[in-house]
Amino acid sequence: MNFKDLLSSMFTYTPDNKQTYHFNLVEDIHTKAYPESDIGKDENPKTKIFPSLTVNTDYLKSKFNLLINSDIIFRNFVLNARGKQYQALLIFIDGMINTEIMNEFILEPLMMRNKNNLFEGSQNKVISEAVANNITVRKVKKFNLPNYISSCLVPQNAIKQVSTFEEIISGINSGNCALFIDTLDLAFDIEVKGFKQRGIEKPSNEIVIKGPHESFVENIRTNTSLIRRFVNNENLIIENVNVGNITKTKCGVCYISGLANEDLIAEVKFRMHNLDVDALLSAGQLEQLITDSSNINSPQLISTERPDKAASYLLDGRVIILVNGSPYAIITPGILSDFLSSPDDKNQKALFSNFTKFIRLLAAFITLLLPGLYIAVTSFHQEILPTELLFSILASRANVPFPIIFELLVLEISFELIREAGLRVPSPIGPTIGIVGALVMGQAAVSAGIVSPILIIVVAITGTASFAIPDYAFGFHLRVYRFLFIFLGYLCGFLGIALGLFTYMIMMCDSKSFGVPYTTGISPLEHVKGSSYFLPPVWKREYRSGFLNSKKTNKQGHISMKWKNS
Amino acid sequence: MDIAEYLGGKTLKTFIGIVFIFYFMFSSSILLRNFCECLKIVYYPMTSLIFIIITFIIVICITLHHRFSSIAKVNLLIIPLVIISIIFLFVANIENFSLDNIFPIFGDGLFNTFVTGLGNLGAFGGITLLYFLPPLLKEPQKMKKVYLTSVILGTIYFLLCVSIILFMFISLMYTNQIMPLYSAARHIEFGNFFQRLESVFLLIWILQMVCYLSIVSKLSIFIFKKITNIQDEKPIILVFGLLIFAISLFPKNYAISKFIENYLYHYMVIGISIILGLSILILAYLKKRKKKELNANYEENH
Repeated sequence: MNFKDLLSSMFTYTPDNKQTYHFNLVEDIHTKAYPESDIGKDENPKTKIFPSLTVNTDYLKSKFNLLINSDIIFRNFVLNARGKQYQALLIFIDGMINTEIMNEFILEPLMMRNKNNLFEGSQNKVISEAVANNITVRKVKKFNLPNYISSCLVPQNAIKQVSTFEEIISGINSGNCALFIDTLDLAFDIEVKGFKQRGIEKPSNEIVIKGPHESFVENIRTNTSLIRRFVNNENLIIENVNVGNITKTKCGVCYISGLANEDLIAEVKFRMHNLDVDALLSAGQLEQLITDSSNINSPQLISTERPDKAASYLLDGRVIILVNGSPYAIITPGILSDFLSSPDDKNQKALFSNFTKFIRLLAAFITLLLPGLYIAVTSFHQEILPTELLFSILASRANVPFPIIFELLVLEISFELIREAGLRVPSPIGPTIGIVGALVMGQAAVSAGIVSPILIIVVAITGTASFAIPDYAFGFHLRVYRFLFIFLGYLCGFLGIALGLFTYMIMMCDSKSFGVPYTTGISPLEHVKGSSYFLPPVWKREYRSGFLNSKKTNKQGHISMKWKNS
Repeated sequence: MDIAEYLGGKTLKTFIGIVFIFYFMFSSSILLRNFCECLKIVYYPMTSLIFIIITFIIVICITLHHRFSSIAKVNLLIIPLVIISIIFLFVANIENFSLDNIFPIFGDGLFNTFVTGLGNLGAFGGITLLYFLPPLLKEPQKMKKVYLTSVILGTIYFLLCVSIILFMFISLMYTNQIMPLYSAARHIEFGNFFQRLESVFLLIWILQMVCYLSIVSKLSIFIFKKITNIQDEKPIILVFGLLIFAISLFPKNYAISKFIENYLYHYMVIGISIILGLSILILAYLKKRKKKELNANYEENH
């Protein structure tokens, strides 16, 4: 727009004859443009495969929307078997299969003629023959094409004969290829997965000093193999459960048969089988879907990216859930003390691990209560502070024009902002955000008289303490509830803190995780055997967690270090 | 309740239930009122008493929505804290103790100590809770162990409290004080840094108070449920909370409320908790024995 046009548009009126383009997704929310879709609803889930290849092809073309779908490949070819030729069809999704396997071990053996496959004549194989009284008795094995294909023609380790479209479509969606042959009312689900995936890397959120440095990845089979390597026992069962009406996400329920409580396994499977959701994309979603209801919103299932931690809990008698596409495993049930424990605790001497456990407990209290206690002390209970300290606090606050609650909230929210920004920004800038946020902004805020230096110390200690909580979800929970205690401390001082703490404890004690009281090991003390918060020395860790009521109570002998007696 | 039913049928059960509900509601309300009065005097002189009481009532109502086992679990966490705090109070104040303060031992005279002072037995009102514990126990066979532990812990706490007050203050002084233990806590000093720790003790005592109130209210609801055979207790929780609130506001001022606690409540404890409770137990025992004897005679004759 030039200057003349600008002036004319400002001071003159010209009717707008041009039709402007407007797009509204929803005109009226009460009028539906389309009927309710039945996607994900299995009205006729067990449609049998037809013997005619043309019918099957048409059916699948319609199912996969082949006219508009670009990555679904339908490959027609002629199959040679025992000198006969059959029309065949391979269906797979481009990008999800390994092309080399497909060419060399599926298409080539099926299409090429070879000597053994050229056998003509009777299709029936004579196993034995006997002649008695001029009568020949022959024992004949009838030729069976499906068996012949899977046992002689396709040199592939995982091949399955399926008879319904539901099974074959699920296989294609997960990266397998489907083989249809004319005249056969079944299809072959052949595993040729070959999509690109992330390799096993170091854990990024659960770092340990002495433990292994491997973490789960997005592929469920890699994760199961990681667990199998640690458990190294044939009693490790990994059951498949599909969740999600549309996504049919593959989940693995892992437990050690002979160790885990049968009721617990049944409950986990029951909850997973009774989920009516369209999609399941991560372990975090599943965690929320199967967790017990709680007023307090504390995490009740443990989430880990470490296979060694998952294996350790499996050997304790717990049940692990893996979700395809998520690099986290869910451990059921989870109790309060689990969220303050690190996998490294068991790798160190009891004295050191208990010291760090005590520090973590302290960190949890500081994260939850310190700002609230500070505000309560400075507003209501100043006498608790030594006179000199009180003077220094008063002096530091002398230049601050805001009430203490405002000051504290400004700092706490700023701290949360910096933390959130640090997570979102690209990793090279992350430390810069921390430095800028913590040093520059903090110093500037003190100089400007917005906050007092002592409050900076309080908030910094609280923030540092929150990083000492090993479980991210539990740390988050404490961070949120900290604000509640800030308000209670500001409103009623220690009275508010005490009443809030009591209510918080009641809610926590009332929670359950898969039938296990959340505070087991702390209160009540009845199942403390094997599940106490502080660890006994390694030779005294005889029992599995008592609250699990696992099938095998002891996990090591009464005298584990027998070499000492020899 | 079941023993009362065994002794005198449903009528006695209902009567005993109502008496104990009244006792629990009354005692908890008066104790709450007195505690809140002390809080108001010590820390919240500008705050209306109603607001202080309401905060407790809200917490009690929230607590009552949870299971009895959850309240018991929280008690398990708080009681050690309370015991440790009282031991700490005792140890930290040892240097302030004076043996002379307990003399003269029967200073008020024998009559006043043993007859007029009979009301002081009301301090053992907590025993009443033990009557209602058996049906709530997960393992009733461990009842004796539970009772013994509770009595021992209660005795230790009680002895420590009395010792602190007796050894620290002369009798004329502590009878006029608002919270003698609070005053004792004010004497604790560790160097220059820890000079006034009484508010920390107060925090623990608030927790202790809510524990007591929640247990008593839960028991009242439990008794009410037994009398009326109602299935869901949730609709009556607010009613019980409001009742405690209303009763706690009956006394016109702290002096009247203290008077009610010292005389009416203490004698009520003796009447209901000790005399009524024990007589039901004894009579039920006698009835059971008689029934046993009759059965034995019947079996001998036939």
